[in-house]
Amino acid sequence: MIQISHLSKSFTLNRQQKKELGTTQNSVLAVDDISFECLPGRVHALLGPNGAGKTTTLRMLSTIFKPTRGTIIIDNIDAVKDPQEARKHIGFLTGSAGLYARLTPNELIAYFGELYGVSRNDIEMRKKKLYDLLDMHDFQNKRIGKLSTGMKQKVSICRTMIHDPQVVIFDEPTSGLDVITAENIIQLIRDCKNQGKTVIFSSHIMGEVDLLCDDITIIHKGKVLYNDTMEAFRAQQQTPNLTAEFIRIVHDQKTEVQ
Amino acid sequence: MIFTVFKKELRDTLRDRRTVMMMIVIPTLVFPMIMSIFMSVSESFEKKAAEKKVKIGLVSNQAGSLESDLLKVPEALGKKEFIPFTDTISLVKAIRSDSIQVGIYIPNNAEQLKRTMKPISVTVFHDGTDLGMKERADAYLTFIQENWKRERYAELKIDEAKITPFILEHSNVASSKEMIGKLAGGFLPYLFIAFGFMGCMFPAIDLFTGEKERSTIETLLTTPVPRWKILFGKMGVVVLSGLLAATFNLLGIYLSIEVLNIVKDPVVLQAIKDILSPTFIIMLYALLCPLIIFFAGIMIPIAVRAKSFKEAQSIISPLNLLIILPAMVGFFPGVELNEVTALIPVVNIVLATKELIAGTLEWHLVAMAFGVMVLLAVIAIMLSYRKFENENNVIS
Repeated sequence: MIQISHLSKSFTLNRQQKKELGTTQNSVLAVDDISFECLPGRVHALLGPNGAGKTTTLRMLSTIFKPTRGTIIIDNIDAVKDPQEARKHIGFLTGSAGLYARLTPNELIAYFGELYGVSRNDIEMRKKKLYDLLDMHDFQNKRIGKLSTGMKQKVSICRTMIHDPQVVIFDEPTSGLDVITAENIIQLIRDCKNQGKTVIFSSHIMGEVDLLCDDITIIHKGKVLYNDTMEAFRAQQQTPNLTAEFIRIVHDQKTEVQ
Repeated sequence: MIFTVFKKELRDTLRDRRTVMMMIVIPTLVFPMIMSIFMSVSESFEKKAAEKKVKIGLVSNQAGSLESDLLKVPEALGKKEFIPFTDTISLVKAIRSDSIQVGIYIPNNAEQLKRTMKPISVTVFHDGTDLGMKERADAYLTFIQENWKRERYAELKIDEAKITPFILEHSNVASSKEMIGKLAGGFLPYLFIAFGFMGCMFPAIDLFTGEKERSTIETLLTTPVPRWKILFGKMGVVVLSGLLAATFNLLGIYLSIEVLNIVKDPVVLQAIKDILSPTFIIMLYALLCPLIIFFAGIMIPIAVRAKSFKEAQSIISPLNLLIILPAMVGFFPGVELNEVTALIPVVNIVLATKELIAGTLEWHLVAMAFGVMVLLAVIAIMLSYRKFENENNVIS
């Protein structure tokens, strides 16, 4: 379970960043007092246009960034006060993250297993299970740099799941992937849900959201615009499809601000 | 966990061709290459110089005894050919056009001066840029002068020993090891320091900026390993790479003398063997360790902050100059480790290594140099820690 309460994050701007953003302010507020909950056995969609604060929010949840204000509780652990303990419960998969090209999948998975404190036996056992599931045996000893995008994505999945996390964070995991590779991710998300894990999922592809998610949070300019179940979202829908409804909510907010 | 990170980073680094080149291949080959080039060039230069027939222009209006004695100078002092000239103007022209290498002017009254036992003023014309030619002419004339002196002593019935108040002899109390250490000993620490720095450079950029550029750092930071442990694991590899580069440099020296037999002079060879003792190697590493940690500690904050490999390289590469220039201090004879130089980073290690090679260490000065470098290494580690802890630096 993830409980986010009054979460804010501001970044200090250096001279070059101020120039690039055309501002004289010393800091920028990327996430502004957001609160929502993600429940076990459910997939929670985090949506928002580019620059809305999704990645910053997910980076705070995965404890890469420290919040400026607010609390994050992950499986009853305060992730702000004890990020190391919280990380043991989190699996983080992002579409933009790279892999160590000079290592083999076997070496990489063993490395991350060790970093998560998983015993050698458990690493071998889980590795075998994941390799079977993702059909990875053929390329387990090839250098990652020589693998195809699809194979690399399978390695990323394996790395994310090697410590069997209870909370899994997906940040645009299918961006830039072909349909077959993306399907592996979709299947993984379904499996996580079926295993009772808490899943938070950020994507630009509304079809995936519609297919997978049980709850939805829309953020824009760092603030929460909408937060409810997918059922409720569909019920209040004023437009013919999910994409149009998302655009409408964001657009209405813009109009309100103006 | 530090060791887990270290192991992985080391494996990753050793699979990077560019790093292996800078860490193993070049440091191993550089000394044998420099030595064989130096040896073959100096050998061929000496051989050529000995074989070279020097053309000597001679301005003399009479066929006196000095002229005839010049013709009789033995070939052992160098091959020569005398070409007569009528005046010094054409002689100088010929030297400038390199048709002759030196010219000797013998005055018209030379024979008369010789008879009356007065000194003859002989002028040697030479081109200062044509090395060794003046010395050749001097050798011929000195040979004749010595012969004539003996003739005059005999004629005047003078016992040569009685007019020689003392015979000057030199006895060098410095061992060959000390000679090499003090005169050429600056070269070795220069190599160790330069390669130690270069050995650190690529791993530092690859393990910090590279991780950021390839977006692998994000996943690493989501593991339950404290950042300082990740930093130390990575830093360990950077430091080890620098030490390995210095080690392979040392191996190159060993190969040059033991396997490739590049050094032929037995005195120099024995001196180098004496220098490369186990005590020297242990002491060398003790001095290099804090220096290389310091190098790693100043490179890492730059690599952490840089957004791309190129940016990191463009900042760290000029830093190389700042390190290499003080390291060159060791080349100057007479610059020694003292209470002031022991406080200057890099210079102190170069000079301490030089003293170590010469076997003339003063322990309190070495302790000072070591202490300064340890202090700087600690400051550099703290700086690296601060930069690596800052999320804005680590995540692009």
